[in-house]
Amino acid sequence: MDLVGFLVTQCLNAFSQAALLFFLGVGLTLIFGIMRIVNFAHGTFYMLGAFIGYTAVRLTGSFWAALVVAPVLAGAIGSAFELGLLRRLYKRDASAFLMVTFGLTLILEELIRLTWGVQALQIDVPDALSGVVFLFDEPFPVYRLFLAAAGAVVAIAIWQFLERTRLGLLIRATSQNAEMVHALGVDVNRVRSGIFGIGCGLAAFGGVLAAPLLTASLGMAANAVIDAFVIVIIGGMGSFLGSLIAAVLVAFVEVFGNYFFPDFALAAMYLLMLLVLVIRPGGLLGKEA
Amino acid sequence: MPILLLVAAVLASAPFVLPVFATTLLTEALILGLLAMSLDLMVGYTRLISFGHAAAYGLGAYGAGYLLLHTATPLPFAILGASAFAGLVAVGVAWVCTTATGVSFSMLTLAFAQLLYAIAFKWTSVTGGSDGLAGIPRTVGPFGLTALQTKSGYYELVLFCLVAAYVFCRSLVGSPFGAVLRGIRENEAKMLSLGYNTRIYKIAVVAISFALGGLAGALYSPFAGFANTDLLFWLFSGQVLIMVIVGGQGTLLGPILGAAFFMIVQQTLSQWTDSWALAFGLIFIGFVMFAPAGIWGLLSRQRVRA
Repeated sequence: MDLVGFLVTQCLNAFSQAALLFFLGVGLTLIFGIMRIVNFAHGTFYMLGAFIGYTAVRLTGSFWAALVVAPVLAGAIGSAFELGLLRRLYKRDASAFLMVTFGLTLILEELIRLTWGVQALQIDVPDALSGVVFLFDEPFPVYRLFLAAAGAVVAIAIWQFLERTRLGLLIRATSQNAEMVHALGVDVNRVRSGIFGIGCGLAAFGGVLAAPLLTASLGMAANAVIDAFVIVIIGGMGSFLGSLIAAVLVAFVEVFGNYFFPDFALAAMYLLMLLVLVIRPGGLLGKEA
Repeated sequence: MPILLLVAAVLASAPFVLPVFATTLLTEALILGLLAMSLDLMVGYTRLISFGHAAAYGLGAYGAGYLLLHTATPLPFAILGASAFAGLVAVGVAWVCTTATGVSFSMLTLAFAQLLYAIAFKWTSVTGGSDGLAGIPRTVGPFGLTALQTKSGYYELVLFCLVAAYVFCRSLVGSPFGAVLRGIRENEAKMLSLGYNTRIYKIAVVAISFALGGLAGALYSPFAGFANTDLLFWLFSGQVLIMVIVGGQGTLLGPILGAAFFMIVQQTLSQWTDSWALAFGLIFIGFVMFAPAGIWGLLSRQRVRA
């Protein structure tokens, strides 16, 4: 195996992994930036996305339909939860959010178990994306290439959304100074519902995309939410660019760590997180220490 | 105080009345109560929201398990040794974590706990990897404490540890040291300007909290006979934190009730329905909405009214 081929395939592998991590992390970081709350249920929305995606593929036969339906439904559930419960708690301390989102995690997981059962469900890779391509004589799955590309496209889309649309402007303003935005006549609560829904929808989007690789299973939430936390913490809470950098960083550590030091790969991710926090307590691009 | 003595006496006589199954359940509830109370020192009295208290429990559980499996250390010494080990590790952890405050502190504790989890998962020769340590014996040693090998005898040991730890914590929070902790909780900048080196106090309280949490873990692994990586997983840290909040933070006794509530409700619901988690989640949300001061808050409000 020649070195260039090895490096190219491993890097592409890492980028596809980074895309999945980014979908998870970016929603959580946007939610934190606006609301200052730690959303325990984030991994559960990711899992919910995978399960809804499974049903959507079964019903419509189209993976692409699932990619639209699952985020929209999960986002709607997220927004409803914000409207119904979280909204009453903004004057309380962080522990209230911790308990409510933890409670939501239990409820959603149980509902998922009741609806879809305990078996892991497989979503097939769509025909157009199955198979492998040869890069420098190394076989590489097309689906992973697609993931890396999807990550790049979504990252650019979110960036443009934040920079160029009115809602994006409001989101950035609210994360800097919610009271001021409110004083200028904007209904901050609606921004909050919106961003909570968008964040949950992005997690669900990631869930659908991850399902062909990992299957939709009940165990995926607990691992996903800790990955999301790691991304958000390394990148800096509330920082969009930070979550992107962190996702790439963690994915590279995971992929190359798994290759060279399989026994230490898991620890390496947490060591990286500790290292970043010790040097910059607020994360790479975080504001608060 | 007389009420507490009465409760302790009732609890001490419980294994002679209750069926074996209930004693086992109660033992576990008391162990978790000890763990939740130890976390309350950090969360309720110092506002150091640790997201990694499973680390204390896991260090104690693995420490005691290792000593009992691989050495001839008698049970009481293994438990104390593991507790001291957890406290010692905590000094290092706290040294790093206290460089940050607020959410960053929580996240650093989470990172440490997950790092320990990753180590426990992979360091198979010491921790048994994903299988964990199994078949942990309760070595009695030369003092003839054979009572500890029975279920009721072990229950009494756990109860004794909990009561001793409670008395210790109560006097700790009532001491000048405790006053400084409450000062840090209310206004750390003010304590600094009054000339207190708050970082040393914070490191000390983390070490004490970890030593007591380690004690709980060290009591658990010989009781259950095993220690596995679930004890170190972040989900467990979250559960302990919720026991503290459901019980009522900053009250010491509240978190013990919270842990018992957590265990008993889970046990009862799981007998009634497979979907116990659903009801469990609703109960949590109900607490946040309608009883923000926790179980202890509900109880003391009743007392004021009466």
